[in-house]
Amino acid sequence: MTDHLLVDPATLRRQVQDKYRDVALDPHAEHHFHTGRPLAARLGYDQAVVDAFPDRAVESFAGVGNPFSLRRLAPGERVVDVGSGAGFDSFVAAGQVGPTGAVVGIDMTPEMLTKSRRNADELGATHVSFRDGLAEAIPVEDGWADAVISNGVINLCADKQAVFAEIHRVLRPGGVLQFADIANGRPVPLEALRDIDLWTG
Amino acid sequence: MLEDSGFADVEIGPPVDTFGGAKGEDKARAFDVYGYAFLARKPATPR
Repeated sequence: MTDHLLVDPATLRRQVQDKYRDVALDPHAEHHFHTGRPLAARLGYDQAVVDAFPDRAVESFAGVGNPFSLRRLAPGERVVDVGSGAGFDSFVAAGQVGPTGAVVGIDMTPEMLTKSRRNADELGATHVSFRDGLAEAIPVEDGWADAVISNGVINLCADKQAVFAEIHRVLRPGGVLQFADIANGRPVPLEALRDIDLWTG
Repeated sequence: MLEDSGFADVEIGPPVDTFGGAKGEDKARAFDVYGYAFLARKPATPR
């Protein structure tokens, strides 16, 4: 393990994959977080946009905030969604950038990738694609993106500086990072920070 | 951390009670965990 990290990145990735495999395959089970349409409403997503999506495109949504609340994407923009899951935020982004834009979702969980690709087919979202990859090694060329979005993913990465460096790399100069994530208002004891089970539960 | 990574013009939105009513609410309350939206820009010219 790299010395400056609190937990082993590979072990944490396996635990995150296990958790989000469950969210992909059994979205209506009781998870420790909200999911689906009730969560989208709680986080302030545009109800009309969410209502237009089929259940499969919303049910595995497990974000923690609304990455579109501080800035709406512009038509024609090229967007990378880091940790795209079953594709919910990618599809919201696709609606905002329109057919002249493009959205590339990145995820490391095979079940989520399968689901997101099926959802894109069902929605006819031809300007959205999904790639297998890590937030610390985004499979997108330098400077490609006008905007990077993410939702509840960076907190699950052991090396956050590596993630931000990758996002910086894929953004064009002047590009925008708009993401949602959790933050704690009280200090978390070091032993808890090193407890890998607490990262995903 | 965002500024250390080369981003500028950082904005943070208001807190959202992401875990309220969920199974993980107790742990979230213990450390005042909320969801936030963040906005940051990669400078147009290298800093």
